[in-house]
Amino acid sequence: MTDITALPGGKSPWQSAARFGLYTLLLIFAAYYILPLIVVLSTSMKDLDEIRNGTLLSLPAEINFDAWGYAWNEACIGVSCTGLKPYFWNSVAMTIPAVTISTLLGALTGFSLTKFKFKGANLIFAMILFGCFIPFQVVLLPMAQSLGFLGVANTVPGLVLVHIVYGLPFTVLFFRNYYVNIPDDLIKAATIDGAGFFMIFWRIMLPLSPPIIVVTVIWQFTQIWNDFLFGASFTTGGGQPVTVALNNLVNTTTGVKQYNVDMAAALITAAPTLAVYVLAGRYFVRGLTAGSVKG
Amino acid sequence: MASLSIQNVKKSYGSVEVLKGIDLDLENGEFLVLLGPSGCGKSTLLNMIAGLDTITDGEILIDQTVVNDVHPKDRDIAMVFQSYALYPNMSVARNIGFGLEMRKVTKEERERRVDEAARMLQIDHLSDRKPAQLSGGQRQRVAMGRALVRDPEIFLFDEPLSNLDAKLRVEMRTEIKKLHQRLGTTMVYVTHDQIEAMTLASRIAILKEGEVQQFASPQEVYEKPANMYVAGFVGSPPMNFVPAAVVSENGKLGVSIERTANGSRGSVFLALPEDRQDISEWVGRDVILGIRPETLTHCSDSEMSLNNRLQAFDCQVEVLEPTGADTLTYIELGGREVIARVNPYNTTEPGETMAFMVDMGKASLFDPKTELRI
Repeated sequence: MTDITALPGGKSPWQSAARFGLYTLLLIFAAYYILPLIVVLSTSMKDLDEIRNGTLLSLPAEINFDAWGYAWNEACIGVSCTGLKPYFWNSVAMTIPAVTISTLLGALTGFSLTKFKFKGANLIFAMILFGCFIPFQVVLLPMAQSLGFLGVANTVPGLVLVHIVYGLPFTVLFFRNYYVNIPDDLIKAATIDGAGFFMIFWRIMLPLSPPIIVVTVIWQFTQIWNDFLFGASFTTGGGQPVTVALNNLVNTTTGVKQYNVDMAAALITAAPTLAVYVLAGRYFVRGLTAGSVKG
Repeated sequence: MASLSIQNVKKSYGSVEVLKGIDLDLENGEFLVLLGPSGCGKSTLLNMIAGLDTITDGEILIDQTVVNDVHPKDRDIAMVFQSYALYPNMSVARNIGFGLEMRKVTKEERERRVDEAARMLQIDHLSDRKPAQLSGGQRQRVAMGRALVRDPEIFLFDEPLSNLDAKLRVEMRTEIKKLHQRLGTTMVYVTHDQIEAMTLASRIAILKEGEVQQFASPQEVYEKPANMYVAGFVGSPPMNFVPAAVVSENGKLGVSIERTANGSRGSVFLALPEDRQDISEWVGRDVILGIRPETLTHCSDSEMSLNNRLQAFDCQVEVLEPTGADTLTYIELGGREVIARVNPYNTTEPGETMAFMVDMGKASLFDPKTELRI
């Protein structure tokens, strides 16, 4: 692609001024978005005295991770003072299987909906898609009944099940739309070569899928990790995910309000999703636009 | 090697009939080309032979065995696709060997056969590359290697050359022909390119709207087209169709054609050769005379005296299109534009009248109503 700024006659004073204005505006917006994070981060490193006496925007006098340790190990969630640690591991135990299983099932379903077309495949896809538009709140009561019936109410596996069911419409949508652009001739060739359904899926389709797998994993990971409603509705006490625990930690009002601990706890809770974005974010954009341009 | 028999095969999608009863019989080692415009059902038929599409009615037999309900992988066929359909994630060697791998051929045996196939197609130096790193012609070769390595009973080709540029297409066409001569395997080849069909086939089946128009050797298709559709589809430039009337003159049957010569309109009589005098029931009726451009050329007295099938007439020239070897000379006969192939040194200026001769022994007559050959 040609660099349009490098074309001859493309550097008048007006254009330079416009460019300066553009960058200024972008900087203002960037600051607007980053500032809350800076405040949270710096507050989490201050001690309570500094918070009380200093201003909101001032940087901590010294880097001090006491609040982080306290939030992780000792902070009181409701009546039990265990810190966020057990709840964090609850979230990990919930998110990893839920993301893995829903992604895999989405890939398999997307594969059969596009490459092993059966009568009514499009209708079934439309119905699955419908699941994307059902608000969380609508399914709370029936889901609670189902969990009770299955005997997994108030457990992490119960939450895993809920998130798999709720994630499937999205994962199926992603994979189906990705696979629909993979030529059918590949499947025909593999069929003649003697590969069956799972062999084709495993040897041909999955190796072509990394871009969409990354998109799906990021999407599912943030959805499931950040979920509050299902966690708050279907679990109590020790089985809660970290998002619910964070809420309880912040809302536990005994003694002095420890802002630095609240901020540290919030950052701990948000860290995994941030990490996923930082590690895989560029694949995310690439995956979302994959197939839109040929080549 | 295997024989292939297609018996009254039909295919419908809902109420739409795509194939309306196809009958084709193929001997061991034959090269069948399914020729037709897009949408005529030729690729559907190929997919049905491969087992990738179900058969609505009729039977397909490979080596006298009905294969209607046999899975593609058990039919002992190999297919080359228009899009090549190479597995993008696998190297060239893995691509070629995938079919063997699925059939649990041992690693040593697999390597030996992949190597052999790659060498035959001169792609052995590309073994470790991915398909994305190959040119169109190389991809085509890998696709053929994948078919070749399996040593199948029947090769199926689905417009394999249509994604290549013109020069490469001609080269690969020759390669495929050599391959067939070398292996002697039965091949079925789908194309819409009549030159590919003519050069490759031992027999051509011309399809139109789900029906076989003619099933014969290339030469017969060219010289004795079964109907006007076939006549117009095969040959470049296509056959000329001239409205004519069958008349009897001096005891000989022939056709009378309207044309303009030296500024005046009149009809000319072209006698039919001895062996075509058996159409007395057509006297006084209209027919369509089909003339290949190369059988219509400038009049040469020496040739006329040697071949009594040649008939001479004069006609006004309208347009000249030099192609180097020949000049395509456009004239008007019976109200239709007609192309003659004339030696570049024997043409006249447009608007002038020149003498032509036509080989009536190679002319075809068609019934204007049914469009069938008479």
